[in-house]
Amino acid sequence: MKLMGEFVKGLWRENPTFRIVLGLCPTLAVSTSVGNGFGMGIAATFVLLGSNIFVSMVRNIVPEKVRIPCYIVIIATFVTIADLFMRAYAPLLSRSLGMFVPLIVVNCIVLGRAEAFSSKEPPFRSMLDALGMGLGFTWALVLISSIREALGNGTLFGNSLHSGFQPPLFMILAPGALLTIGVLIGILNYFTKKMGK
Amino acid sequence: MDISSYATIIISTVFINNFILSRFLGLCSFIGVSKQIGPAVSMGAAVTFVTTMASVISWLIYYFILTPFHLEYLRTLSFILVIASFVQFTEIVIQKKAPLLYKVFGIYLPLITVNCAVFGVAVLNTDMFFIGGRAVAGSFIKSLLQGFGAGVGYTLAMFLMAGIRERLEYAEIPQSFKDVPITFIIASLMSMAFLGFSGFKL
Amino acid sequence: MKQLFKFGVILGVICLTATLVLAVTYQVTRPKIEGELSQEEQNALKVIFPAADSFTRKTMGEMEYFEALKNNTAAGYCLKITANGYNGFISVMAGIDPSGVITGVSILSHQETPGLGAKINEIKPGENDQWFLRQFKGKRAGKLEVKKDIDAVTGATISSAAVTTAINNAVNAFFKEVKNKK
Repeated sequence: MKLMGEFVKGLWRENPTFRIVLGLCPTLAVSTSVGNGFGMGIAATFVLLGSNIFVSMVRNIVPEKVRIPCYIVIIATFVTIADLFMRAYAPLLSRSLGMFVPLIVVNCIVLGRAEAFSSKEPPFRSMLDALGMGLGFTWALVLISSIREALGNGTLFGNSLHSGFQPPLFMILAPGALLTIGVLIGILNYFTKKMGK
Repeated sequence: MDISSYATIIISTVFINNFILSRFLGLCSFIGVSKQIGPAVSMGAAVTFVTTMASVISWLIYYFILTPFHLEYLRTLSFILVIASFVQFTEIVIQKKAPLLYKVFGIYLPLITVNCAVFGVAVLNTDMFFIGGRAVAGSFIKSLLQGFGAGVGYTLAMFLMAGIRERLEYAEIPQSFKDVPITFIIASLMSMAFLGFSGFKL
Repeated sequence: MKQLFKFGVILGVICLTATLVLAVTYQVTRPKIEGELSQEEQNALKVIFPAADSFTRKTMGEMEYFEALKNNTAAGYCLKITANGYNGFISVMAGIDPSGVITGVSILSHQETPGLGAKINEIKPGENDQWFLRQFKGKRAGKLEVKKDIDAVTGATISSAAVTTAINNAVNAFFKEVKNKK
């Protein structure tokens, strides 16, 4: 039961995007279409999974003082692996995500989890934690990007919605991203409070 | 390459492609540290210093080590390591040589290592100023200016946001929209204003 | 001092392992990545010069181009062009016949703003090619102007002009080189 908890907490209670508000740069920059958002989510989940497991494996060998550089090296390795594989097997996605693939390395979620969780916990639990956080990040990205793509471009997964309104370009551009996440966090806060009572 | 193309880089990174408001780099600290003007500007100054230096160092690595030996795939690893060591080094030096400065900037330095703006500008420089593994004319100066401009743009956005948030303390905002959500919404409005610059032809 | 040495060794070992792992991954994925890139190039070539039956890669000075062959004689050229777009480079391929008339234009990669500059590569619903790039077909390159010869993408005059100017410059430079050689 407790193991399950490590997995589930990332999905909602400690959702990295909506609850802890971390890893925002990619969340906002790539959420212009659902395809991009989903691809980024999966790539980040892969990196989280790999780095969390490895950090947890070396946690007893690495001295306290040089732990951060070590974690960074491990994370950067997984980011590069993800980057190379995406370029080889998903060239279109890799191109539309562009520089935001290497930027996963500075995604605060990844280093945050390494420091806060997997540097203290055994590999299996770290794996569950990474999966939960990664999927939590992915669903948040998919939600934000569906809203932006539907409102800003009149499409969903690239299919036209035939909505009969002129999609406001605003939603695809930078301000739309900030507005979407601001309003979403506000609404989620409201419901969490209501349910809490 | 003439002066005007250098000026273009500065203006476009500060206003048109403002790192925070249109490229979304460095958002975490933008939301986190922008509650008061003082700390926000200090953070901005520290970031400007690091982005400028990171641009220089990453250019040197990319130009002299990675491209000649076809090691471009080590870009992520080497850049982040160098940035992390540089930040650490700066922290130690400032602490020893200028304790007063350390009091003001010191606490922000560790935060900067994982600031997307710093790593982002290093990656962006190599994307923009190297075509197919070859450096374009004046790429060193351009990288340096882009690094500096990125920092200035960051500081500007931080300063504006902190100014607004200080006043927001007295506004009546619905409970669930307090703090983070309202900051995003304000950032959205600011970003819209900055979008006005995008018509500029430089 | 001894402690510092130990830190160095541990960090060194981790870095070395990481580099090794990456070198292996790179070697494994490289053929696929390069294959993917040349496949894209080949596809683009067919789109911009449908009349040709094969292409040979050539270089002239700094310029990289493809000669479009039809029945083993040169029917035209496909130039690889880099345009200075709004957010970064736009990598363009343009096909021209020997007199400088454009046979087609294709965009290999770009980093323009989605919804604005990115529309240089937009295919409208119900159509099967990019409306912006289609305009170049059949026009003589060298002095093309946005808004006069070529309609700009709404809200993305800079991206549109960047592509147009880059094509003009590349074609002019190409013919100048050819003349010099003769």
